[in-house]
Amino acid sequence: MTKEENNGAAEELQIQSKKALKKQQKEAEKAAKKADKQAKLAAEQQTTSEEDFAKDRYGQPAMVQSQQKPDRVLVRIQDLTPEKADQLVWVRARIHTSRAKGKQCFLVLRHQQFNVQALVAVGDRASKQMVKFAANINKESIVDVEGVVRKVDQKIESCTQQDVELHIEKIFVISLAEPRLPLQLEDAVRPDGAGDEEGRATVNQDTRLDNRVIDLRTTTSQAVFRLQSGICHLFRDTLIKKGFVEIQTPKIISAASEGGANVFTVSYFKTSAYLAQSPQLYKQMCICADFEKVFCIGPVFRAEDSNTHRHLTEFVGLDIEMAFNYHYHEVVDQIADTMVQIFKGLRDNFTTEIETVNKQYPSEPFKFLEPTLRLEYKEGVAMLREAGIEMGDEEDLSTPNEKLLGRLVKEKYDTDFYILDKYPLAVRPFYTMPDPSNAKYSNSYDMFMRGEEILSGAQRIHDPDLLTERAIHHNIDLEKIKAYIDSFRYGAPPHAGGGIGLERVTMLYLGLHNVRQTSMFPRDPKRLTP
Amino acid sequence: MPMYQVKPIGGREIRVDLPTCMYRLPNIHRDDGDRDHAFQDAEVDPAVKALEARQDEIMRRLYDLKAAVEGLSKTITTPDADIDVAHLSEVVDSKPLAGTADLDTLLGKNYGALRDIVINANPSHPPLSLLVLHCLLRKRFHVLSTVHVHSSVSNVPPHLLACFEEQDKNQSRHDFQLGFTLIWKDVPTPQMKFSIQNMCPIEGEGNIARFLFALLGQQQDPITATLVDSWIDMAIFQLGQGSSKEKVAVLRTINAALGRSPWLVGANRSLADIVTCCVVLQAAGPVAIPANVQKWMKSCENLPEFNGVYKLLQ
Repeated sequence: MTKEENNGAAEELQIQSKKALKKQQKEAEKAAKKADKQAKLAAEQQTTSEEDFAKDRYGQPAMVQSQQKPDRVLVRIQDLTPEKADQLVWVRARIHTSRAKGKQCFLVLRHQQFNVQALVAVGDRASKQMVKFAANINKESIVDVEGVVRKVDQKIESCTQQDVELHIEKIFVISLAEPRLPLQLEDAVRPDGAGDEEGRATVNQDTRLDNRVIDLRTTTSQAVFRLQSGICHLFRDTLIKKGFVEIQTPKIISAASEGGANVFTVSYFKTSAYLAQSPQLYKQMCICADFEKVFCIGPVFRAEDSNTHRHLTEFVGLDIEMAFNYHYHEVVDQIADTMVQIFKGLRDNFTTEIETVNKQYPSEPFKFLEPTLRLEYKEGVAMLREAGIEMGDEEDLSTPNEKLLGRLVKEKYDTDFYILDKYPLAVRPFYTMPDPSNAKYSNSYDMFMRGEEILSGAQRIHDPDLLTERAIHHNIDLEKIKAYIDSFRYGAPPHAGGGIGLERVTMLYLGLHNVRQTSMFPRDPKRLTP
Repeated sequence: MPMYQVKPIGGREIRVDLPTCMYRLPNIHRDDGDRDHAFQDAEVDPAVKALEARQDEIMRRLYDLKAAVEGLSKTITTPDADIDVAHLSEVVDSKPLAGTADLDTLLGKNYGALRDIVINANPSHPPLSLLVLHCLLRKRFHVLSTVHVHSSVSNVPPHLLACFEEQDKNQSRHDFQLGFTLIWKDVPTPQMKFSIQNMCPIEGEGNIARFLFALLGQQQDPITATLVDSWIDMAIFQLGQGSSKEKVAVLRTINAALGRSPWLVGANRSLADIVTCCVVLQAAGPVAIPANVQKWMKSCENLPEFNGVYKLLQ
């Protein structure tokens, strides 16, 4: 036993001495490394102090204050294709990402939705210092780059320009970004849920909206707002082709146009005024003034204190009003066709944008019928009853029922867009024309996209006496709407119309879940900036 | 005796004061010598016997049924085992039983909405027979017919968009008895949807044709119905989708059948004629059409309900 113990002690001693030896060795190594490093640093300093042969090829030039008008042509990143191979080009772009690797530095340059891989490598064109400079430019800075376009053997999967890369020869910083970004662009385009698994971050809505300028740079935002611009353009284009006249209506008004509740009051010199809730009255006045078919695109204000996914306090209204000959379905058909033309235009001209948005927010492609399916309110109620919902004939659709009806219609007709016609008179505003055959119903309609209402419209009463009667029925103070009723006293053509919310249409077309994603700088009860 | 024997705790006879306000019933625990005896004599109660016999009978019928179904499934999976329609048709003298077409009994309870039959069809292959049936339905009911184009297809030829006659625009949807909504859509086979709650979609032109024909309320005896079904299947699958060899064979069969009778089944125009004729019109193509078939197609063409179809083909 003692022997063993002795042995053990000896062994321990040996181990200890071994350990000590190792430690010593390590320390020696460390010291050597340190010396080495210092030597290197000194050498580097020497070279720096020596001379940098590429000194003129990089740097941060004076702020562009419009000093000169060079003839330099800047090529857009989306135009960097294999046809441009081996050409020397100038490009202006943002630094999307940068990755230094020894004597090389890989950059991804981005312009709008497009990006390309670029490379700075130590060689006869670039010095060590230049590579270091390129690697240290903060992300999101704007740079001017001169380089040669080269074809690549292997496709670059992470960039939109997959077949070429740019070999940088000169790089100048035009505008430097701060080193710390409030949100990372990669995080902002990550699909919901994908971040959770890999432990990566996603950016929440409020952070996005607080830093909207950066959030809008993401490919998804770029696509969303390009598509929204497309909707506006298609709307205008289609209606002008149909013979409509675009009008501008005042947004500061003296009386509340719709109902009177939910209106913003603004001080107006010695008195107060309201922000327009809809251009309704002015549209109708234009009809009475024989413009026949009018539309307008402009902001609409609603002081509704509702924080839902689809309400904003300020949004863009696309409004249509049209005189018809004998039946308000003439107007319904025109509006529905306008929507169908918009959907077709988006489907045909915005494929890449839709795909880009789908990458982050997957959704089924938008389906529609031409001509648009028109169901009657009664039918909708019957479909809901068949599905087990209990509701009265003259009851308005609740939001869940609206969604359910959308699903039922989609199931049967496979369309995401349909019209529900002939609403009960009781649930519509006082100026809605009653149905001639059944006093309980009215000549009014809603249009739905993916089961959510986007447009609400009706044949308006154009007869002052009937209008007065209906207003009294609704207990509306006649004095307050005198101007409205009077505008029909000098002969008014029968007319109908409706208004669409641009943000909602964009949201529902893309299958997004929050209207704030499709409003560039959204306004809601809790947000007034930016 | 595996257990202890214990003396009774109470006395032998316990007097219980029974209330007098209740009925008096015979004691059910007392030994009833007579009944016991009878039970042993007959071994089993006749009621139980009857029950057993009934179960045996049910089991026997179930086995029969199983055998029948197995036989049937064999005939279905082996195409050659199909019945020879051409010969059967001589035997049967079908008499269309005039039935009443009550939409409530045929389509179920109405919740106040337009009963809308939605048919999805590919514009590259219009379901002609369904258009013929649509004409027949319109004769019988007040039908609202509409045509739509689904976003999955573009460039639908204008004559397909105008395949229904103009109708009264002044009526509102709920004034109609039946809706017939045709949607041109990118679908492999025609598809019909009616009640999404209680019915699965019906796939295939032949099956939809059967459904629509049933709405007309003509009841058929089972043999006629089987003959019609078999002609329809032959037309849709072998003539419509088969090779040219198969097509020639089917046309020959049709020709033979039409040699014996002016129509395929029975003495009158049946669903078999409608579907088969439409498929011949569409699918025969380069294959030569035999004489009897040509004559029969001429007589189909003269039927008013075929007007729209011929218009579409021109």
